[in-house]
Amino acid sequence: MTAPALPSAALPSDLAARFGSGQAVRRVEDPALVTGRGRYTADLLPADALHVAFVRSSVAHGVLRELNLSGAREAEGVVAVFSGADLVTAGVKPQALAAAFRRPDGTPMQSAPRRALAHEVVRYVGEPVAMIVATSRTAARAAADVVFVDVEEQPAVVDPLAALEPGAPRVGVADDNVCAEMRHGDAAASDAAFAAAAHRVRLPIVNQRLAPASMEPRTVLAAPGQGDDVGRWIVTLSSQMPSAVRDGLVAALPGLTKADVRVRVFDVGGGFGMKTGLYPEDIAVLFAARALNRPVAWRPDRLEEFLSAIHGRDVQGHAELALSADGRATALRVRGIANVGAYPSTASAAIQLLIGPWVSTSVYDIPVVDLHYTAVLTHTAATGAYRGAGRPEAIYLIERLMDAAARQMDLDRAELRRRNLVAPAQMPYTNAMRQTYDSGNFPGLLEQALARAGWGDEAAWAQRQAAARARGAFRGRALSTFLEWTSGNSFEERVTVDVKADGFIEIFTATMAMGQGIVTSYVQLAVDAFGVPPERIRIVQGDTDRGNGFGSAGSRSLFTAGSALQVAAQRTLEVARERAGQALEVAPADLQYAGGRFTVAGTDLGIELAEVAAREPEQHLFLESSTTVGGPSWPNGAHVAEVEVDEGTGEVRLCRYLSFNDIGRVVSPPIVKGQIEGGAVQGIGQALCEQVRYDEGGQLQTGSFMDYALPRVDLVAGLPPEAGGFEGFDTHFDTSVPCRTNPLGAKGVGELGTIGATPTVVNAVLDALAGAGVPVAMLNTLQMPLTAERVWAALQCRAGA
Amino acid sequence: MVFPLQTHLNGQSVHDEVAPSTLLVDWLREQRGLTGTHIGCDTSQCGACTVLLDGQAVKACAVLAVQAQGRHVTTIEGLVPPEAPPGTLHPVQDAFVACHGLQCGFCTPGMLMAAVCLLRQHPKPSDAQIAEALEGNLCRCTGYAGIVESVRHAVRQATPQEAA
Repeated sequence: MTAPALPSAALPSDLAARFGSGQAVRRVEDPALVTGRGRYTADLLPADALHVAFVRSSVAHGVLRELNLSGAREAEGVVAVFSGADLVTAGVKPQALAAAFRRPDGTPMQSAPRRALAHEVVRYVGEPVAMIVATSRTAARAAADVVFVDVEEQPAVVDPLAALEPGAPRVGVADDNVCAEMRHGDAAASDAAFAAAAHRVRLPIVNQRLAPASMEPRTVLAAPGQGDDVGRWIVTLSSQMPSAVRDGLVAALPGLTKADVRVRVFDVGGGFGMKTGLYPEDIAVLFAARALNRPVAWRPDRLEEFLSAIHGRDVQGHAELALSADGRATALRVRGIANVGAYPSTASAAIQLLIGPWVSTSVYDIPVVDLHYTAVLTHTAATGAYRGAGRPEAIYLIERLMDAAARQMDLDRAELRRRNLVAPAQMPYTNAMRQTYDSGNFPGLLEQALARAGWGDEAAWAQRQAAARARGAFRGRALSTFLEWTSGNSFEERVTVDVKADGFIEIFTATMAMGQGIVTSYVQLAVDAFGVPPERIRIVQGDTDRGNGFGSAGSRSLFTAGSALQVAAQRTLEVARERAGQALEVAPADLQYAGGRFTVAGTDLGIELAEVAAREPEQHLFLESSTTVGGPSWPNGAHVAEVEVDEGTGEVRLCRYLSFNDIGRVVSPPIVKGQIEGGAVQGIGQALCEQVRYDEGGQLQTGSFMDYALPRVDLVAGLPPEAGGFEGFDTHFDTSVPCRTNPLGAKGVGELGTIGATPTVVNAVLDALAGAGVPVAMLNTLQMPLTAERVWAALQCRAGA
Repeated sequence: MVFPLQTHLNGQSVHDEVAPSTLLVDWLREQRGLTGTHIGCDTSQCGACTVLLDGQAVKACAVLAVQAQGRHVTTIEGLVPPEAPPGTLHPVQDAFVACHGLQCGFCTPGMLMAAVCLLRQHPKPSDAQIAEALEGNLCRCTGYAGIVESVRHAVRQATPQEAA
C-alpha cells in the first residue's frame, strides 16, 4: 500500500492550495539533503579548529590514582591536555540534578556527581577521564593512546538486582544504590481485587537496554565569537534542545552568563531522544575552547556513542493482571526495577518512575493500579530518553498481559481487549493514574484494524498458516491496542512571525528539526494561514539568540509549536488587516484577505501583505506570540502484525504490518506515515534483535554495529510474499477524533509506531510458537530480543521436539 | 611522508598530496571539502560513506585515498553535472524526494550511491536485488520502506512505457 509519488513543484498560481496542510507535498528539507548539501555539525568545522580526543575509563569502577599525561603533552600536534583535576581547579561544576524524585527514606534522588571529566572515581567503562586537544583528530587520538591511567580497580555492579543487595559496591553517594523510588495507586484495593479475581496473570518482563544509535554521532564545535559576537562563545552541535544545552553549559562552567553563550544547531542526523540535554563532552569542549581561545571540535566514533551516549529502556520486573470471570480487568500490579546507570539525570528517573506509569492502563478501563518502581544505580552508562521514553515499557507490559490472559482464558485476543476498552462515551476519561485522555475512539480503531486484517476470517488465516508450514515455518499474528502520552510535559511555545517587505515571511520556533520533517509541516501551516507559495516561507530554528524553549522531544513539536504558529499567523494577519485598512482608508472589516493580498470586495482597491510590511517604521511587520496548549495529546493506535518463525533456525520474518492510527488532524500525510513506519522498525528492532550488553565486570560487549544489531533493509524487503516475505506497511490514519486541547487538533505521531510495534511483533512471535506447540509456561517467560537463538531454543521445548 | 595522488573526482582531474594512511572518506571531506559523504561508524557497517569507485559502490571508510590513484571517484556531489540548471536532480535523487525516502538525510548520500550503482548494473532489479544492494547501508529513521519504494519508483520512471 504505497502512497503515490509526490509531484514536483511547478509554481502554478494555485500552488498555495496544493501545499496547504493535509496535502501530500515534497519536503522542503529534501533538495539540500539529497544533493549532499546537508549541514551536519561535522561539515561545519573551520579549518583552524582544534580537535578533541577523550581518554576513557577502561574499568567500570575504580579510584583514579594517577594520570600520566606527559607523553601525551609531548606528542605531535598536541596543544593541550586536560584532566578531571584541571577542570575542578578551574571551577567547572558537576552537572546539576533537579531532585524531583525521592528515595524510600525521603531523601532526594541520588546520582553520583557527573563531571565533564572524571575526578578521583570512575563509574562506568567509557567515562571520560582526560581530554587531548590537538591540531588534528588523528593526532589527538594518537596522543590519547599514550596517556597512562593508573586506576585502582574496584568491584563493579552491573545488574540492578545485584546492586540492591546489601553489601553491593556503592555507585553513588548514599549508603545504597537506590536512585529514587515511587509507588502509585492503591495497594489495598489492588490486593483485594487480586484476591477476588476469577483470573490472574503474572509475567516476568524484561525491557532490555537499547542504544538509540542515530546515524549521525553527537558532534560539538565550540568557538570564540567573531565580529559582533566577540567576547561570546558560539557552540554548534547536533542537539534536539539548544536552550537546555546553553543553560547547562552556563551552569557548569565558571564565569558564564546566558548572554555569553550562543547555541546554534543546523542539520541533525537523527535524535530519538539521544540528543536531548547536555553531555559531559559538551562541557569539556567549551571548557577547552575558552582555555585556549580557539575553536575546538569533537566528533566521536561509533564506539564512543555506544559507550557514553545515553541508553534507553532497561527495566525489569513482574507485571500482574486481575480479571473477572468475563474478562474485565480489575487491577494491574507492577513491580519494576529500572537500571539508570551511574549518572542518571532527572529525566532518567522520570521516564521509569512516572511517565511510563501514567500510561500503564493504556486504552483499557482498569480502575485500580498498584505500581512500584525503583530506579537503581549501577556501573553502566546512564539511561535516558529514547523514542517513547517510558511509554514503550508500559505498553509492552499491558499488551503482554492481555495476550497471556486471553490465552489463559481461551478467549480471542481481540475480544478480550474489546471488553476492556474505554468507550468514546467515557471521554474525557481519567485513568487510575489521574491522567485525563481528552479524546479517542479506541473501539472504532480496533474494529477498523480487525476488518482490514481479516482477523475474523479464520479460513484465510488457516490458509496462510498452512502455506507457512509448507515453507517449514510457523505463522503467528497479534494485535495491540494502545495509546501514548506526548508533550514532554512542556505545553508552551513562543513563535515569532516576521513579514518582510520583499514578500518573505520568516517564522522562528524553538523546536528543532532532526529528520521528522517538522519544517515542511510548519510551512504547510503557514501556507494555509497566509495563502502565499511555500517558497515565501522561511522557518528558522536552532539559535538561542533568536529564541528559547523546550526543544523537540516527546512528539510535541507539531501540536505545541504548530498551534503557536497558527495562532501567531492569525494575530499577524489581524494586525496587518488594521494597517491595510489605514493604508486604504477603509474599515478593516471591509477587507478580504487571500493569496497574500488584502482587497476591498467588488473593487480594484487592494494592498499586498508585503507592501503593508514595507510601510511599517522598520519596513517589516514583526509579531511575537506565545501559545500554551491545554494538555498532553494522547495519540493511539490499533496495530496488527503477522510473522513467520523458521522451524529450523528460529529466524523471525515480518510478513505483514498493519496499523490504524489516531493522531488527530494530519498536516503532512507522507511525513506521518514515515514516522509510523520508521518508528515501527525501531520497535521491531527491540522485539527481534537489539540489546546493549555489559559483561559481569561492566565491559560493554556491544560497541559496534557488528555486535549491536540494528534492523537492516532485509526486514522489509528482499523476499517475495509467497516465500514468507514482507507485504509492505499498511498504514492508516483515522482523523475523525481531533485533539480537543490544542487549536490544531493534532496529536503527536513521532513515537507512536515504536510503542505499538514492539508488543505487536513480540506477541505475534509468541502466537506462532504457541501454534507450534511451545508450552504456555515457556511462552510466558520469553523475553526480548527474540533472536533466532532464543526462538530456536523455545522450539526445542515442544513436546516431542 | 606524502603521496602524490592523481585521480578523477566527479568528472574532474584532481592532483593532491595525501598521507598514505588517509582514508578516501577523510580525503574527500577534509581535503576536497566534499562533506556530502558521511561518517556514521568506525567498522564499515553503516554505509553512510558509500561512493562510486570506477562506477562500483564502495565504502570510502574502507578504501585508502591512494587506492583512487588513476581511477574515477564519484560522490553524491557528482551525480548532477555542475553545468546543470540549479535545482536539477538526478533521477534517483528525485525518486527519493518523491517517495519520502529520507528523513534526517544522514544515510541518504550512501543510499543514493548504492542505488545508483545498482541501477547502472541492473536497470530493472528485483526486490531481492534491491535488498542486496542496500544491505550494507543502515538507516535509523525511515525503516527502509520509503527507501525501497524510492528505488522502485526510479526504476518505473526510467521505463515509462511499462509504468502504465
